[in-house]
Amino acid sequence: MMNVALIGNPNTGKTSLFNALTGFYEYVGNWSGVTVEKKVGKLKDELGQLIDLPGIYSLNPLSEDEAVVSNFLLTEDFSAVLNIVDASQLERNLYLTLQVLEYGKPVVIALNMFDVAKGRGLKIDTEKLSLYMKTPVIPVVARKGTGIDQVKHYLREINAENQEALVIHYGEILENAIQKLIRQLPDSRLPKRWLALQFFEGNKPVWELLKKHVDESVLQKIFAETEKRIAETESVSSLDRYIRQIRRQWICNVLEKAISHSPDRKVPLSDRIDRIVVHKVWGMPIFMLLMYLVFKFTFDWLGSPLSDALDAFITGPVTNGISSGLEAIGASSFVKAVILDGIVAGVGGVLVFVPQIMILFFFISLLEDSGYMARVAMVMDRLMEIFGLNGKAFIPMIIGFGCNVPGVMAARTIEQPSERLLTIVLTPMMSCSARLPVYTLFAGAFFAENQALVVFSLYFLGIVVALVMAKILTSTLLKHKESVFVVELPPYRVPQGQVLFRSTWEKGKGFLRKAGTFILGGSVLIWFLSYAGPGGLSVDMNESYLAMIGGFLGTLLAPIGFGTWQAGAALITGFLAKEVVVSTMNILYASPDISSLQGIIAGSFIPLEAFSFIVFILLYIPCLATVAVIRKETNSLRWTLFSMGYSLAIAYVISLIIYQGGKLLGLG
Amino acid sequence: MTLADIQPGKKARIVSIENVNKLVRRRLIDLGIMEGSIICLKNSLPFGGPYTLEADGQSIGIRRREASLIEVSNL
Repeated sequence: MMNVALIGNPNTGKTSLFNALTGFYEYVGNWSGVTVEKKVGKLKDELGQLIDLPGIYSLNPLSEDEAVVSNFLLTEDFSAVLNIVDASQLERNLYLTLQVLEYGKPVVIALNMFDVAKGRGLKIDTEKLSLYMKTPVIPVVARKGTGIDQVKHYLREINAENQEALVIHYGEILENAIQKLIRQLPDSRLPKRWLALQFFEGNKPVWELLKKHVDESVLQKIFAETEKRIAETESVSSLDRYIRQIRRQWICNVLEKAISHSPDRKVPLSDRIDRIVVHKVWGMPIFMLLMYLVFKFTFDWLGSPLSDALDAFITGPVTNGISSGLEAIGASSFVKAVILDGIVAGVGGVLVFVPQIMILFFFISLLEDSGYMARVAMVMDRLMEIFGLNGKAFIPMIIGFGCNVPGVMAARTIEQPSERLLTIVLTPMMSCSARLPVYTLFAGAFFAENQALVVFSLYFLGIVVALVMAKILTSTLLKHKESVFVVELPPYRVPQGQVLFRSTWEKGKGFLRKAGTFILGGSVLIWFLSYAGPGGLSVDMNESYLAMIGGFLGTLLAPIGFGTWQAGAALITGFLAKEVVVSTMNILYASPDISSLQGIIAGSFIPLEAFSFIVFILLYIPCLATVAVIRKETNSLRWTLFSMGYSLAIAYVISLIIYQGGKLLGLG
Repeated sequence: MTLADIQPGKKARIVSIENVNKLVRRRLIDLGIMEGSIICLKNSLPFGGPYTLEADGQSIGIRRREASLIEVSNL
């Protein structure tokens, strides 16, 4: 079985190539040793597996995202590398290619966006490239599927036995140092020359590995001596710059022979779009307008009608069908209660929001795939700088509106560690779509006329709290850490249907899985706790175990406006997943559907209490899945606990201000 | 002269990026922007916001402060 690693620069069309080469089947798993997700797809025609790695410019990592690739090469067993290269940016892309060729595994180079390169007046002789690189070079247009068969053909031909690493001469000083270091290295399946080169380039994961075999002081001495000798004889001060210079020379020599330019160049479309969307005056309003449209579509124009239709379908035909089915097989009243009052009420109450969630994810994928996201980082940078963050931190936050879990993961692309940490901890303040069902429920019951305004105020509050927290943290705990910003602005691309639907599904399927696991299990548990009590089974709900647990919390929550045991119980279950709050209320108020639940809630809360409650839901704690991903991404229990603790504290304080302040103003 | 002194739409040759923040410098080099590169200042965002630069068909965004640390010369 062949394991092929897909490696390439960011924005070279990696996802398109991945999709073109693999079927719909894929899974996300963990690497041994490092807990970072990898995406694996099954290559068509039974060729083996294709492993999608994060886009990188160089094997020497700068951000967490990039370290993934180095760690992969160091720890995983793979048969070949498929290197995707942007044909219109060869000089930069081949830098990574060179490092990969030095590793010595079989490499197939897919020269993507061949059409774009042609349009820019580049004439590329792929045969010559192939000759110098000593490996197949195939022109492809991944988005159109051109050249894919050729790629598959060469992947099939791969023979690991006769692959030799590419060797470039790095000058006498460095070559001697490489030999000296190689003599110290133990035998392993890893190529020694490559390890030595990466070491001198300053690749941290490689340093960590070598430290296990060679005394650290010896390593430091070799490095320092070599760097000093290079600085004395060459015009560059550091080893990594020197190595880069040699490689670039090599690349330029190759390109000189393999590429010819034709002089006619028109202003690319991307430049013309950028003149508008990152315009001095229009940049920000255009971004605001786009976000407004996204939310309008998701919650108003498209999402709500779909959700309503689904709700009618679940509470009508589905419930009736199950009910008469259970009747027909003569199920006991206990079984009927579990299924209808527990599972259908709990899971159904959440499933109705799937259309809205999917639509939001669709738009987020659209923003990502078109290339606009990088421009959002540009437009937002000045504002984010005020709060000690950079524009890139805004992207995890936008993704966080869909779901906090991918939002937290998206922070990997932020180079500065402290800014990345801050973004991870603050992203849960973004109101994810799982919280929306709760807002919709309460806003519909109490603020029907200003529903959109109330929901918008919550999104806005989340952002404000996150930014204020950022300011506080960067002036206290994370002080003296300079904020930096640099972003690549890829050319705009017309989003591709298949890629869009695939990434929407990727992001959204988690919700369906949650509905089948957490929410199903949680609903049954809640229902049971409300069905059983000290007095036995089938007790009055107010005498149940759940009423006791919720009642205790209720006393703590009374000062912020919702001292009922039902609210207390709903908040506990909301930690599993925010949308479970709705499921829980559906069960606890024994309501057949959302609209009658709204009626019941309207009788048990006053508007001020309801608003305080939804604000609390927005802020009070990241859900279980988010906590897990924060733990994984920060690799720090302290910061994970911090992210939970501070949100709880902030939620309580803000709800307290809203409720007590509102009462003073005579709103309660 | 630094990149921050260039008129929008004008090109210049980079003389040195030594003074730029280490992380930014590494990323610029990754993107093929270094000493000797010809760079074009495309536009800037308001209130001291970031600059859009272009080199060899590649667009990037960096902050004004960083741009003012990149030394350039006229072509």
